[in-house]
Amino acid sequence: MHEDDERYFARIEDRLDEAFDLARAAKEQGRDPRPEVEIPVAKDMADRVENILEIPGVAERVRELEGEMSREEAALELVNDFVEGSVGDYDSRAGKVEGAVRTAVALLTEGVVAAPIEGIDRVEILENDDGTEFVNVYYAGPIRSAGGTAQALSVLVADFARSLLGIDEYKARDIETERYAEEVALYDKETGLQYSPKDKETKFIAEHMPIMLDGEATGDEEVSGFRDLERVDTNSARGGMCLVLAEGIALKAPKIQRYTRQLDEVDWPWLQDLIDGTYYDDGGEGEGESDGADADDADADGGGADDADDADDDSPEPPGPARVEPAAKYLRDLIAGRPVFGHPSESGGFRLRYGRSRNHGFATAGVHPATMHLVDDFLATGTQIKTERPGKAGGVIPVDSIEGPTVRLANGDVRRIDDPAEALEIRNGVEEILDLGEYLVNFGEFVENNHPLAPASYVYEWWVQEFESAGGPVQALEDDPGVDLEHPNPEKAFEWATEYDCHLHPDYTYVWHDISVAEFETLADAAASGRIAGVDEGRSSGPRTQSDEVESDGGMVVRPDAPDAADGVLELDRTPDLSRILERLLVEHTRTEETLRVPNWRLLVRSLGLSELLEREWTDLSPEAREWEGGDNAVKAVNEVAPFDVRERAPTRIGNRMGRPEKSESRDLSPAVHTLFPITEMGGNQRDVGEAARARNDRGQRGKLDVLVGDRACPDCGQHTYKNRCPDCEVHTEPHFECEDCGTVIEPDESGRVYCERCEREVESVDWFTVDLATELRSALESVGERESSYPILKGVKGLTSANKTPEPIEKGVLRAKHGVSSFKDGTVRYDMTDLPVTSVRPAELDVTVDHFRELGYETDIDGEPLRFDDQLVELKVQDVVLSDGAAEHMLKTADFVDDLLTKFYGLEPFYQVEERDELIGELVFGMAPHTSAAVVGRVVGFTSAAVGYAHPYFHAAKRRNCDGDEDCVMLLMDGLLNFSKEYLPDKRGGQMDAPLVMSSRIDPSEIDDEAHNMDIVRRYPESFYEASLRMADPGEVEDDIKLGEDTLGTDEEYRGFEHTHDTSDIALGPDLSAYKTLGSMMDKMDAQLELARKLRAVDETDVAERVIEYHFLPDLIGNLRAFSRQQTRCLDCGEKYRRMPLTGDCRECGGRVNLTVHRGSVNKYMDTAIQVAEEFGCRDYTKQRLEVLEKSLESVFENDKNKASKLGDFM
Amino acid sequence: MPLETPARIVRELARHGYNAEREAVTLIAGAADPGTTLARAVERAGPDAFRVTAADVRAVLDGGPNATDAPVSDLTSTVESTTAEPSTAEPPAAEPTTTDGGATAERPADDSGSPTPHPSNSSGKPNDESPTEPETTAPETEGVWAGRNPDPSLRSFDVANDMTGQSTGTGEYGDFVKVFKDRYEKLSRQLRGRVNHRPAEAIQSMSGGSDAAMVGLVNDIRSTASGHWLVELEDTTGTFPCLVMKDREFASAVDELLLDECIAVEGTLADDAGIMFVDSMHSPDVPRTYKPNTADRHVQAALISDVHVGSQEFMTGAWQRFTSWLHTEEAEHVEYLLIAGDMVEGVGVYPNQDEELDIVDIYDQYEQFAEHLKEVPGDMEIVMIPGNHDAVRLAEPQPGFDEHLRDIMSVHDAHITSNPSTVTLEGVKVLMYHGVSLDEVIAELPAESASYDEPHKAMYQLLKKRHVAPQYGGHTRLAPEEKDYLVMEEVPDVFHTGHVHKLGWGKYHNVLAVNSGCWQAQTDFQKSVNIDPDAGYAPILDLDTLDMTVRKFS
Repeated sequence: MHEDDERYFARIEDRLDEAFDLARAAKEQGRDPRPEVEIPVAKDMADRVENILEIPGVAERVRELEGEMSREEAALELVNDFVEGSVGDYDSRAGKVEGAVRTAVALLTEGVVAAPIEGIDRVEILENDDGTEFVNVYYAGPIRSAGGTAQALSVLVADFARSLLGIDEYKARDIETERYAEEVALYDKETGLQYSPKDKETKFIAEHMPIMLDGEATGDEEVSGFRDLERVDTNSARGGMCLVLAEGIALKAPKIQRYTRQLDEVDWPWLQDLIDGTYYDDGGEGEGESDGADADDADADGGGADDADDADDDSPEPPGPARVEPAAKYLRDLIAGRPVFGHPSESGGFRLRYGRSRNHGFATAGVHPATMHLVDDFLATGTQIKTERPGKAGGVIPVDSIEGPTVRLANGDVRRIDDPAEALEIRNGVEEILDLGEYLVNFGEFVENNHPLAPASYVYEWWVQEFESAGGPVQALEDDPGVDLEHPNPEKAFEWATEYDCHLHPDYTYVWHDISVAEFETLADAAASGRIAGVDEGRSSGPRTQSDEVESDGGMVVRPDAPDAADGVLELDRTPDLSRILERLLVEHTRTEETLRVPNWRLLVRSLGLSELLEREWTDLSPEAREWEGGDNAVKAVNEVAPFDVRERAPTRIGNRMGRPEKSESRDLSPAVHTLFPITEMGGNQRDVGEAARARNDRGQRGKLDVLVGDRACPDCGQHTYKNRCPDCEVHTEPHFECEDCGTVIEPDESGRVYCERCEREVESVDWFTVDLATELRSALESVGERESSYPILKGVKGLTSANKTPEPIEKGVLRAKHGVSSFKDGTVRYDMTDLPVTSVRPAELDVTVDHFRELGYETDIDGEPLRFDDQLVELKVQDVVLSDGAAEHMLKTADFVDDLLTKFYGLEPFYQVEERDELIGELVFGMAPHTSAAVVGRVVGFTSAAVGYAHPYFHAAKRRNCDGDEDCVMLLMDGLLNFSKEYLPDKRGGQMDAPLVMSSRIDPSEIDDEAHNMDIVRRYPESFYEASLRMADPGEVEDDIKLGEDTLGTDEEYRGFEHTHDTSDIALGPDLSAYKTLGSMMDKMDAQLELARKLRAVDETDVAERVIEYHFLPDLIGNLRAFSRQQTRCLDCGEKYRRMPLTGDCRECGGRVNLTVHRGSVNKYMDTAIQVAEEFGCRDYTKQRLEVLEKSLESVFENDKNKASKLGDFM
Repeated sequence: MPLETPARIVRELARHGYNAEREAVTLIAGAADPGTTLARAVERAGPDAFRVTAADVRAVLDGGPNATDAPVSDLTSTVESTTAEPSTAEPPAAEPTTTDGGATAERPADDSGSPTPHPSNSSGKPNDESPTEPETTAPETEGVWAGRNPDPSLRSFDVANDMTGQSTGTGEYGDFVKVFKDRYEKLSRQLRGRVNHRPAEAIQSMSGGSDAAMVGLVNDIRSTASGHWLVELEDTTGTFPCLVMKDREFASAVDELLLDECIAVEGTLADDAGIMFVDSMHSPDVPRTYKPNTADRHVQAALISDVHVGSQEFMTGAWQRFTSWLHTEEAEHVEYLLIAGDMVEGVGVYPNQDEELDIVDIYDQYEQFAEHLKEVPGDMEIVMIPGNHDAVRLAEPQPGFDEHLRDIMSVHDAHITSNPSTVTLEGVKVLMYHGVSLDEVIAELPAESASYDEPHKAMYQLLKKRHVAPQYGGHTRLAPEEKDYLVMEEVPDVFHTGHVHKLGWGKYHNVLAVNSGCWQAQTDFQKSVNIDPDAGYAPILDLDTLDMTVRKFS
């Protein structure tokens, strides 16, 4: 590790220690459920595993093994330790298996997710029909967060432990096998599986599985065939089991096989059959295998690339260039209000460009900010899009070093827009978006998704390498101030293309493959009969010049190579066909009544095989050019008639649609909670503590509440209280467990279980207490020196859901309410943001100065120059995070709350003392993702106006997030240390998820999710890469030529050197918020969505309308109508719910008014709109008829046949 | 296609869009050149007519070249038809399958003490002798069967409980309350005589240890930690918990309880008067001694359901064998056809259904269904109720088809009524219900009480509860109306359902329960959930004896 990396981590850890010292001092006072800080620091993965599992000794053993073997092997090795008893303190055989399985899952998930504790409920030893014993592993839903490999390996580990313990294999009964098949199919239908095994496959697995997979019921739907089985205690689908079987065993069979082969004790010969798909009766044709491989893109016809190649060679299809197969899967489940930006591989959609911008990482998509504005602001930084390829989804990031969109304005002018400001200016005049511009995807994305490379767009970075290879004097030209290599003038471009054996510069290469040969000829004819008009004549000279500038320089004013005004414009007679052809080619032009005027025409007419005098220099095309791609692609024609060669400008178009909007908002429970103190129903719907303190109870007493809270005892005086500190002795109290039956006082055992041996029952500390809330609230206010007027409202909770029902001190709530922050279920204050990666930043774009950066320990920019200016580009350190403006504001409030808490409640020194948000710089936060149980320490380095949390990709990966629109939260360090307690966590499945059970103080790149390692970190991709893309090569073929993150793992360079191929002038370009969030109603959003669909050339608006109806409106209508006819009812007064309407009509509890929970209004809210949209966009009759039938149903249910709204006809 | 058998003639007429009088068919069949006769008769009837009458045919025969031909003389052509039969593409009811038919028809249809005297006295023999044609075309030897010739004046027909056009609910809370109150009133009336009902409110104030009885809707069923059952009953005054001890002989009956059915209990209040220990439990039920009504003459009804026209799996061949058979002498007494829902496959019933439809347009589906209905002899009375695949609201009760669909299916002037409805055929009360609740009954109750293999047993449960879909809030959807149309106020003589695509029948306290099969072959979905439908069967009911025969046409 580099010295400065060492210093960097030391700085973070010093600040962490400082915080810990203060937090410990606060906690020692005993005012909290436990007198110590409850988030242990884990230095490495082994620590995290041990902390999450709470099995002592695991960390040490893991560290020992890690040096010698892979993590998977270590997991298997640990099984021996568990069986021998050298690790873990388990007496029973079931316990040993359980410990081993949990540890394996924890290891394989880097000790970050909750799966090992929440996803495995228990292990049992049961009896086979022949009297032998077998092992049953009982999974639960949260096993999902472990991922397929860990799920599959958990089974292997259980089997290994089983064999070491000498327990027999599970012998499935036939009905159980059948049940597995039905159940997996049911789960797939109800919830959806990434991979859906066929029934035969499931049965094959079930028959051979040496241990029984069992689990908790997770769904409401029940199996209909194989019910009430003796050894399966539910008729519902067992989600955890289904996941393990389908996404674990079935999908990851090859991976498991690698490990079974290493183990003598475990033999799963059937895996080979599973992999080969030879479990079919007829010997099979390997169907299972191919299905497995294509699971990710079931829609595409087979593997896409290979197939396309083969087809070219073997079939009589006309020859053509390599193309990826369009895939429509991303269009599934289209939702109203979330627009489609391009249909699959449709011309006019995003053009694939390879490269990694500095704010690019895994599962992100670079889009030009002008495009973001032109799609009516539906795309913003952080907006999730579902995409055709290479992955499934990605977060949108702004990159302005790629080409922007091309539009036709209402006056007929066609312009490319490379400046976001210009995009905003002309937005209202856009008639059609002819092209969405480029779409930047990094090579690593293809590696991660194992997607064959798609043919690359022809772009400057490729051309310049070709030019150099062809002998072009690149170095000399770069140094020549009179030449712009990137945007040359036509003369230079022509010279380079003809004098060197190099393709025409991309600036002058049009999208020839998007027009047909016939259209090419039409254009050539038109150009040949066109004329060159001087620039000074005609009315359009002004705007034209402006557009010229904008076209190619992206906003710079000075341009040495600007086309000579004397060049004039090419004037063509205007016809609709000709307009369309120029539009498809993306040739910028203007329009008059009779003519189309093309500036910059020289290389266009050259490409058409005309001389500069517009003389046609060819007569006929060869059959090969004519037949290329069936005559739909004019590239060959150009190459035949032009004096130079051209490449395909944009052979790969990528369709996509909006997924989720970006997010940046505080995490509030609903209703928001300031204090985890129970106030029953007395606080009303608002759960207002003040109101509860004033209200009278059943006995007419004011402010006295009967609540269920944990009974605690004072160790000194023995007094019983629900408080964490004895009101008299001021010492910390401990939960008091007294067996309800025999009265014995019992101490929890090591695992925290409290069990009365005599009565054979679990013992709880929970008891009824009568709380004098009025007094409690008053004394809490007094103790922190506040009045009720310090806050608008103080909200509590109805009741507590934790095991011991430990309430929080009201004082904490008072201070939270005062500072306007609310608490999450675990006592922490959180702020959610969409994750985005960034590897280099400019202090200026983060609204901080270079001085701030120097204070943080940054010394040089990415080129090694000393840091002097705010706009120097600096490589970001791994644990540094950028907060959104909203997050910064929220953190400020939290800091004030924490300081108040420290001084007024704990009587200690304040920790933050911040006034301005600048002062947050350098402060530590926790980053934490949903479904995980480990927080990662981060350091604030700046702020962004985008509604996202930018951080180093490794930081996100350490939380097990990728950046495809995922969101997670930040917490202020001291808030977490002081206020988090496991005692508050709900005592139910999944309760431990999303809670910081452990924190990582430093990121070890080797211990993060390995998808982050597939990010490329180079300044440019080699020429060979682009050429390989045209062959649609496997990404593995070129992996050696492009450095990935994984190449530096374990070296001194692992924390640095994350270079990028593309820059962007700011990481927060484009709109700050997606239109999806700024538009009001769903109807407004949908109108905007359909409006955009009409504007985009790459989108078929009828299909969009059809899908919105099919996937959104119809399911909504049908679902609500179903819900209506089997709904529950609720008392408007007391909130009591009834499964069925009471026969009395009134509430049985309070006599109040009972009403429906689903009303007519919520059932038919989309009916009229859906019908109107179906009509307007010409949807299929099938769709219209479904709506018609539904409309009649609604009418039949909600309208009185005898009292219908009268029509005019009734009176005639 | 040779046009010598009445069935073929009727089908040919149907193809032209006509129905025909019995006599007209006979006349055409007897003509020297039936094809021409038919064509001319159709021409004469004109495009506006709906049925070809005997007068039309006579006019053709009398006035045209065929006039000289007398019906009897045409021996050769009919004989030809028999021999030509095997070579034609679709032999009518000829080939049906002795073996299968027998097996199915003989499936034991009894059980649990319900006396099943019959079923099917003619069981095992549907069509087994020989093709039906010989019977119809053996005129030269003895009493020529002159074709169907029913006397409509002997029929009597009545529909009760039809709520088509009577839907007054507007989906308000009060509507729901009204329905359940109505249910309670109607069903508690059945039970009041058996126990001395005290309102829940009154029981609540009774002292510990006293005897009590209550009639109520089942509000909740729970098992206690020690394995007893806690059944909460509700009446119009409130609820009261009733404990059924696990060792009571009727404890197993709790397994068969559904939420929201009406029961009566008798028992003793606990010492603290907070709970009732149940000593006996009663359902409204059908009296064991129930004497079903029968018709005064020998007349039959075909009870079918789930035709699913429009589905790729619709069994055209089986259906046509069925309709052909209806034209035969064997079927001459079949004067009624009852269809218990799912005329068509529908649209949007399940996701991506359009990919599996033969006819994607819902109206075309009904048009096609109407075409198939035309193959049925024109003299038959047809009754139809909608099912869950039909273009009617899904929530029950389902009103009959709307005007548009009625126009499409106007052939035969079929009676269209709501689901459920009771039709009385010559005195025999047939309760027709599509059967969506059967799914739930089968899912909720133990397999020995109800299963897909024995759908009639699930129907027994509904008869016992005197309600076609008791449980609210689960599988079955409810549309609130001014009263509960789903209650069986009167005991039916025959209970006819479909929906589950399984054939099953039997008698429960002398009431015949029939779940007819379907006319749709196994779908991919059914294959995936292991349902093997009974497709292509027509249960034929003797209205004078309530004996039933099942005929197989697949």
